[in-house]
Amino acid sequence: MTEGTHSNIVCVFCGCLCDDLQLEVQNNIITTNENGCAISKAKFLNHADDRLEGPAIRVNGTSKEVTLKEAIAKAVDIIANSKRLLVYGLSSTENDAHREAYKIAEEAGGVVDNTSSVCHGPTILGTQESGEAVAALGEVRHRSDLVIYWGSNPQFAHPRHMTLHTRAAGEFIKNPKTERKIWVVDIRKTISAGVADKFIRIEPGTDLEVISALRAIVRGKELDVDNVGGLPVSDLKEIAEVMKGAKYGVLFFGLGLTQSKGRHRNIDAAIRLIQDLNHYTKWSMMPMRGHYNVAGANKTSTWQTGYPFAVDYARGYPRYQPGEFTAVDMLMRGEADVLLNIAADPAAHFPRKALQHMGNISIINLDPKQNMTSLIAEVNVPTAIAGIECDGAAVRMDGLPLYLKQVVDPPENVLPDRDILRMIYDGLRRAKK
Amino acid sequence: MSKDTILTNGRVYDPMHGIEGEVMDIYMSDGKIVEKVSESAKKIDLKGRLVMAGGVDMHSHIVGSKVGFGRAMCPEDHRKDPVPKTKYTRSGVGYTIPSSYVTGYRYSAMGYTTVIEPALPALKALGSWEEMEDLPNLNSGLLPMFCNSMITFDYIKEGDPSGLAAYIAWTLQSVGGLGVKVVNPGGTYAWAHGVDLRDHEGEIPGWGITPKEVTRGLCQAVESLKLPHMMHFHPNNLGRVGNVETTIAQLDSIRDIKGHGGRDHICHLTHMSFETLSSVEGGGNDWGDLESGGLKFAEYFNKNKHFTADMGQITFGPATTMTGDGPFEFYLYQLTGGKWTNIAVDVELPGGAGIVPYTYSPKAAGNSVQWAIPLEFALNVDDVWRCIISTDHPNAGPFTKYPLVFSWLMSKKQRDTWMEGMHKFAHERSTLPSIEHEWSLYDVVISTRAAPAKILGMEKLKGHLGVGADADVSVYDVDTTKVDFAKNPEKIIKTFSESYLTFLGGKQVSKKGKVKGVPNEGVWSVHPELNESLWERINKELEQKMNEWYSHSFHNYPVPARYRAHLEKKVMIDSTSVSA
Repeated sequence: MTEGTHSNIVCVFCGCLCDDLQLEVQNNIITTNENGCAISKAKFLNHADDRLEGPAIRVNGTSKEVTLKEAIAKAVDIIANSKRLLVYGLSSTENDAHREAYKIAEEAGGVVDNTSSVCHGPTILGTQESGEAVAALGEVRHRSDLVIYWGSNPQFAHPRHMTLHTRAAGEFIKNPKTERKIWVVDIRKTISAGVADKFIRIEPGTDLEVISALRAIVRGKELDVDNVGGLPVSDLKEIAEVMKGAKYGVLFFGLGLTQSKGRHRNIDAAIRLIQDLNHYTKWSMMPMRGHYNVAGANKTSTWQTGYPFAVDYARGYPRYQPGEFTAVDMLMRGEADVLLNIAADPAAHFPRKALQHMGNISIINLDPKQNMTSLIAEVNVPTAIAGIECDGAAVRMDGLPLYLKQVVDPPENVLPDRDILRMIYDGLRRAKK
Repeated sequence: MSKDTILTNGRVYDPMHGIEGEVMDIYMSDGKIVEKVSESAKKIDLKGRLVMAGGVDMHSHIVGSKVGFGRAMCPEDHRKDPVPKTKYTRSGVGYTIPSSYVTGYRYSAMGYTTVIEPALPALKALGSWEEMEDLPNLNSGLLPMFCNSMITFDYIKEGDPSGLAAYIAWTLQSVGGLGVKVVNPGGTYAWAHGVDLRDHEGEIPGWGITPKEVTRGLCQAVESLKLPHMMHFHPNNLGRVGNVETTIAQLDSIRDIKGHGGRDHICHLTHMSFETLSSVEGGGNDWGDLESGGLKFAEYFNKNKHFTADMGQITFGPATTMTGDGPFEFYLYQLTGGKWTNIAVDVELPGGAGIVPYTYSPKAAGNSVQWAIPLEFALNVDDVWRCIISTDHPNAGPFTKYPLVFSWLMSKKQRDTWMEGMHKFAHERSTLPSIEHEWSLYDVVISTRAAPAKILGMEKLKGHLGVGADADVSVYDVDTTKVDFAKNPEKIIKTFSESYLTFLGGKQVSKKGKVKGVPNEGVWSVHPELNESLWERINKELEQKMNEWYSHSFHNYPVPARYRAHLEKKVMIDSTSVSA
């Protein structure tokens, strides 16, 4: 690709999709990443490290390098002979790869799930109960005078979120230091809590109670207890009053809310709280999406299948059932007999029981890098890194689609996920004939 | 390339050429209607079946941000309507918000070939282009919104019509839009300030300008750019009792604007059923005071020729309301207390959107009157060429209910049957029960083919069967000489629910409801070419404004050619006369 400076590059790490990176490329290597956070720098500058070798097929426990054609043929053979294919991952690759993955799941009558089933899946269930007043990052910067991060540690996981969106001046908030308050609600004092204007500590597992209490207070109800979740009711009343008194409030929430006790009930309650507040003033909310394109995976899945994750094609049409067609559940029940894993590392993140089953089944793994899953996969196909070595599109945490540019060439003979998946799909179609 | 085909012995309805039920042959070659074809052409004997151009739906929400959000938040909408894959089609789901593939297939099965998405947040256009890759069997187009944008406000406040026109031209070029959509101008923006602005002469907070000025400014910009499709207008104060007055006032406020090239119409008012609610004499704005404004609006429509309108016909049963009018959806949510989604992106979008699932019931007073409004209107207009059938899919009902709408328009008997169990307000608060008029088949063909194509500015290629038109053709299994539709409304529904044959660009894509999936046939856009100095100025100004106001870079705003080039059918417009 072009040597030299590349401007306005989209970062492909977290759901912020910061699009102001300036990269220097020399000899097909990225040498500097200006504007990126520490994580972004690590991802871009080390893109050539720890690459997955292959294509490779594991025979009797030993990985053996093969041609791409052989690897694809093997993958096709495994999938064609599977009874219950599970396609999983997708949130760290671009949208076109997703579209190909759904075709494979449909053709094989399998299940396709993305990583939101282990992160913001409960958020989606919450919106299916109640809808959601969704915020937008531009509007947050221009208008918000009260920002709450709940169960989310942006300074650690989304390092530029505060700098770019909630600590920055906007059209109607000229001086963010004095005109905007940032609160953090968490069970421990995180580094984000350390830089917030107010830290509200609640007891672990009490989010639902605290949110429900706030809802009751906002609606003018009297509580007949002294404290909720470790907070005196007088504090809660004060919090509710300030929330009602804000001109434009925004609630950002993370896995501390979605994956703690109560899960989608927490989110449902939070959504209803924000909806209630809209009867008094303006409030919106936004999930702090982790993987850079997990929001894209929900979107592409939704337009093709009608459902954002956990989709089964066994009957020839898409069915949706979180808890049944979600990857962890499929594996824990021992139901999947083949796993096609794309741009994720379930072996590193899934519960032990799911892992045990992964050890018993064939795994086809597509990833640019070595990871825990590649160590146990039967077929490994290295792929190009979207947004660095190939182009594509991704979706920011607030739903904004952005175009990812290619800035360097992928390693020799390494193709984008979408191309590999298309080859597998074509192979499957041929195998059926 | 498609094979040459001759459709023989079809009974043709082609209002653009004044053809009403003549038995003729239609020749198709290379995707076009032609004068004659080679000897080897495939011959299909239609044996007197009904033939017309493919349907053109000029207002149906089928792709994009809010459609996706609506689908994702309503799994219950899809569950009872699964669509299995076949040898020639992908799988998916219905119902009111079908998945992308199913949307295309269902339109094909009904004989529709062109469908326009009428509310694109320009900022999110890339996502819509990606999705249209998976929207098969249709020609389509996108109408970006310009009505709640600070950039629009800025040019209007500064009294800079050239700047405003150039901003529109730049955006249409950069994201591939077909025209200009205006939704609750200034109102959605005001709502982000917590202000409920519904008066078109009220002040947009912080700008010292009014929705009326925004509407006029955008309407004039469309004419100065010479865009084929006029301003596509969803006015302020939607869905409120008594708003027929405010809608008429808003239409009056643009009546003096001259259409380019002497054209008569400068505005298309969309989903009029939501904008022409009247109230009983001496009544106020309570739902209890609701009365149909359909007749009153038809009288205004017949006297004032500067605009066209589509119906937004309520079809009863489940629907999913979704609009760039966020505050209206909040209002509806307060009425329903059910699910409510708001998508805020006011500065950048420019717009914002809301979604509320809604079930229209014939037993409900308000719903039954709203059902009567567009029918009362359509049955009283003196020019069907300005009156378009729509359900504002999926707002007033899914597009699959069009045949039911045809039956209400074409059959008094059908209206009477439906009104039997309906809330008494439909009888007492509208003149519908006394209307004897029935639309002819010719009227329906005008309203679903020729007229929308003309209003969209696509009349050279769409909406007719003349030589040179795209070979988009639908054939229905009926001999119109042997059936009295008005007396047999069930026959109307049966006939139009499923085409006998649908051709898209000369390719047969559906036969008796069995669809063959083909890739998206093209996304239509306009490309208004500005003079060099204005182009230079607007790029400079937009770079500065967008980098200040937006949360991403000006340089990452345009939709790259890689997502467009293979789909886009670009119509070049000479807008160089707009002064710098």
